[in-house]
Amino acid sequence: MSNHDHDEEQLPPTPGERFTKVLKGKDVQQAFALGIFFTLVFVVLGWKFYPKWMPTIMSTDMKSNEALMVAFTYISAPICGLVLGMAAYTFLQRQRGDTPPEDGPGIRTNGPMVIVWTVVTSLFALLAIIWGIVELNVGSEAAAAEAKTALVVNVTGSQWVWTFEYPAQGIETNELNLPIDRPVIFNVISADVNHSFWPVQLGVKVDANRLETTVVHTTPTRLGPIDVKCAELCGLYHAYMETGGNIMTTTNFDNWVTAQGGHNA
Amino acid sequence: MTTLDHPTSTRPIPNPEKSLITKLHMGTGMVVGAIFAFGTYFWLRSGQDMTVAHNVNKVLLISMFMWSLGFLIGIGAFIGPFRWLIGKDLTAEEQLYLAGDGQGVSRYFRYCTDHKVVGIQYLVGVMAMLGVGGTLAMMIRTNLISPGSKFVTPVIYNSLVGLHGITMIVAMIVVATGPFGNFILPIMIGARDMAFPRLNALSWWVLFTAIPVLCSAWFLGGIPTGWTAYAPLSVQAGPGMNAFVATIIIFAVSTAVAGANITATVVTMRAKGMKWNRVPIFVIGATISVALAIPAFPTFMVSMIMTALDRTANTTYFDAQFGGSGWLYAHLFWIMGHPEVYVILLPGVAALMEIVPVFVRKPLFSYNAAIMGFAGIAGLSVLVWAHHMYMSGWLPMLNGPFMITTEMISIPTGLIFLVILGTLWRGKPWMKLPMLGVYAFLWNMLIGGVTGVYLSDVPADNYLHGSMYVTAHFHYTLMGAALTGALAGLAYWFPKMTGRMLHERAGYISFWFVQIGFQVLFLGMFIAGAEGQPRRVADFSAMYKYSNMISTMGAYTIGIGMIVMLWAVIHSWRKGAIAPINPWGAKTLEWTVPFPVPLENFDELPVITSDPYGYGRSK
Amino acid sequence: MTTSTENRKRFSIGGLVFVLLGVAVVSLVGVLLHHLSADPQKPLYATKSSQTISIDGKDYAKASAVLGVYPDKATAAEHGYKSNNKDWVQYGPSTHLVLPAHTYVTVTLHVYDSGEALNHAYFGKVVGTVGGTMNIDGTDVTNIPYDQVQHTFTLHGLPTSTQDPLFVNVPLPRVATDDKDNFLPTKDAGTNYKGHTVTFSFLTGGAGEYVWNCEYPCGDGTYRKFGAVMGQLGYMSGKVTVA
Repeated sequence: MSNHDHDEEQLPPTPGERFTKVLKGKDVQQAFALGIFFTLVFVVLGWKFYPKWMPTIMSTDMKSNEALMVAFTYISAPICGLVLGMAAYTFLQRQRGDTPPEDGPGIRTNGPMVIVWTVVTSLFALLAIIWGIVELNVGSEAAAAEAKTALVVNVTGSQWVWTFEYPAQGIETNELNLPIDRPVIFNVISADVNHSFWPVQLGVKVDANRLETTVVHTTPTRLGPIDVKCAELCGLYHAYMETGGNIMTTTNFDNWVTAQGGHNA
Repeated sequence: MTTLDHPTSTRPIPNPEKSLITKLHMGTGMVVGAIFAFGTYFWLRSGQDMTVAHNVNKVLLISMFMWSLGFLIGIGAFIGPFRWLIGKDLTAEEQLYLAGDGQGVSRYFRYCTDHKVVGIQYLVGVMAMLGVGGTLAMMIRTNLISPGSKFVTPVIYNSLVGLHGITMIVAMIVVATGPFGNFILPIMIGARDMAFPRLNALSWWVLFTAIPVLCSAWFLGGIPTGWTAYAPLSVQAGPGMNAFVATIIIFAVSTAVAGANITATVVTMRAKGMKWNRVPIFVIGATISVALAIPAFPTFMVSMIMTALDRTANTTYFDAQFGGSGWLYAHLFWIMGHPEVYVILLPGVAALMEIVPVFVRKPLFSYNAAIMGFAGIAGLSVLVWAHHMYMSGWLPMLNGPFMITTEMISIPTGLIFLVILGTLWRGKPWMKLPMLGVYAFLWNMLIGGVTGVYLSDVPADNYLHGSMYVTAHFHYTLMGAALTGALAGLAYWFPKMTGRMLHERAGYISFWFVQIGFQVLFLGMFIAGAEGQPRRVADFSAMYKYSNMISTMGAYTIGIGMIVMLWAVIHSWRKGAIAPINPWGAKTLEWTVPFPVPLENFDELPVITSDPYGYGRSK
Repeated sequence: MTTSTENRKRFSIGGLVFVLLGVAVVSLVGVLLHHLSADPQKPLYATKSSQTISIDGKDYAKASAVLGVYPDKATAAEHGYKSNNKDWVQYGPSTHLVLPAHTYVTVTLHVYDSGEALNHAYFGKVVGTVGGTMNIDGTDVTNIPYDQVQHTFTLHGLPTSTQDPLFVNVPLPRVATDDKDNFLPTKDAGTNYKGHTVTFSFLTGGAGEYVWNCEYPCGDGTYRKFGAVMGQLGYMSGKVTVA
């Protein structure tokens, strides 16, 4: 944080002594206490915010998305605590008046502090990067493994309606029904401008482009209704480009396919 | 603006009687511009089948550019270059006249080359744009107060979203570098003016011509695309889209001119002895920002030219059926788009870094770390654009690399925090209005930064991309951090720019209204995003009604706070307490010159022997 | 900063007036936009009938509405429908339908426009009607070829926990010169414009707000022909209120 005032006459203290002295400083201790407080605020935020507000977890992807956001909030809590603790401490030291006050200590820089700070932020960034890359890798490995058994759904976005074709079943619908625990591959395309296919509770998303098929995959893990939205502004009725669907038991799904005039595969 | 209470110049007013330049001003510019625009419109229209969209687009676009050209001719922007071309440059008296010497208020309405006049023009222009953008924001939030889109139709809502976006982006790009970069920066480095005073005037007046063009979008049916103007939706859009395209192309010219000018000024015109390690940090931040804009904006301009061609000439840059691609647009847009957010952020941050040492009465903590922070952000920002395209389906295998570059930006951003916190630490801040902005910045930038880390991580972005969460995130960084920085800069430099102190109490009231309203508004929006509400929707499911209602309440609070701010500025400008030369006891050069700042700033150019942060008790 | 209390008072009053003025200006913009948003067309209320119909063991009240699809302003005017100001293809007499809840709604469409191909063939199918069919000039059909369509009536909305889902898609057969002889004269026998009559019925759920639009690309000259008329309200799109 800073080097300390000391009398020039005395022997220069060792780094260890200086460090202990800094830790014993009233400013450091108060800032530390404030920092702990703010850390706890962010820990509580991470613990409550996303689980409370994010929709029901209904797929493998949604589960890892939410876990990641909660974990990142925990990880960033001490950083937020540090920054806000220091800021709040100095805020409490504020002074008023109409003329500039006395000068403070003339600290120009503190080499070790700059290095420690840079290393620590780099480590946090590295952690976030590694976490993200591992998740990406898990996702693509799972996709490769599941490709053979997966249910294929061809999704078409047109201004302003989603439609779903199940090629193996030979049906085409306007609602997205899926069997539980079976991997599903969405091949997404647009009939006109860009859209973005977002089955909200499944936690995946990919843009729909004209004449360019984009692919996204997941495995539904929970029964219940889902929402499908468009996450890319697509003109007049973008807000209304939504539809629903259900994650069903395999039997119910087969029955629904039959009722739609398709065949089970 | 009044100068009654201040000593006025005793120099005789230059009056080159016969010269054309004395007869031209904003009014003649508007008349010639209107003649050019309407003349072109009716002339081109007569031979065209105006039921064909391409022809309408062609006629409108050309008319808009002709307005801009006509205005610039009418205000006399090209007299200098023209006279130079025919071998008779302006006389010394004419040049003095052009600098607005002794002309009073009327010089603000002329093609004036004085950097201080340009700075004030930018300030007023930016405040007007923020006012318009803010009003549009109020309209957006009013429509979202409850489900059902009961206030406006989706057509108007989409236009509100797009025009709020682009108005604010344009305003925010110039909010700090316009007023302070022009008025304060040359004095700060001890220069008599900018390197290219005529280009300086040009940059402002070119920007000015973009404003009516942008406003015309409302009368041409609005825009359905948002400010990102994604193709092919922008190719499909109605005549209002031409206004957007023309605005961006005109604005890009203005930014290029201003960016080149500010960069050249800082590189070549620093006072004697002002080595690179003695330059005030605001100058460094502003220069890096405009230098970053120089390569960034041309890609936006190019993307708009391609859009214009697709819309008028049947080219197919963005039509997949004929070999084009919407991804091409997305790339061009975001290659500009991500550097651009740092173009907005850096001058605001740099203004705050200028403020902290003055009010804490300590040297700037680790000047080198600050420069590394700015340079690191600027350098990395050109390598991260595709994080906006994680979910676009374009080459998902590159998501990993772009995730790495994006998250690396948190390292230089960390340095920015370190510099500000290190300067604050063990100081006793003098809690004036600019200093409050520093604390608001720390909180807002922290929230904006942390949520930015989630968004940069591909798995989290799977869920959050395109949701209200993103909207909340970038408002925290652009409004909570950058605009707060610029407003703190306004409070800080107001005495120098207007000769009067900004009314403190009104400033405090405004500050708390804005900041509290801001937290409420975007907390509601973070919740709506986490719940799964997409961005830019005119209507939403009833399940999001509470989060949206909370957001709207917050927005109204901000609105009131901003009106109070406007009142504080207008009142103080007219009747505020007369400011001393150096009310804050700062050590940068702008606080050494009197008000009104003389035409060429310094009687005798200063010589610099140290950086301006020599505060602190000697040990 | 002002010093005397009188100045301070004057400042406060001035500030208050200014804030009120500011709020008034913003509100004025709001009022103006809201005014511009007002639907120039009066909503079309479905005619309720005293009859009921039993479907899957449940009784539903009946209601009906009649609409026309016109290729331009003149045709609409000839059918007694004073249309919007632009000379575009349009539905009439209104694009805002108000339907009773939990009702068997029969819509009759008199259609007079020519046409080509859909952007997305799915919209050539009849979806969401009772029995999955519509009736064209007396014949029940489940779909028409995607390149024989003039417009579609595609009704959808936000899936929310508070309103029932409703999705209806009806493709409208185009009017072509080569099957002139097969036309039934519709509405007005004296008119030059002959077209098809399409009827279909669907069940409404509980109260809710829905939108409908045409999925046939008829905005000429723009990308995928979805600009111009397709991007504006009151012609080829509108809303449906179930009340």
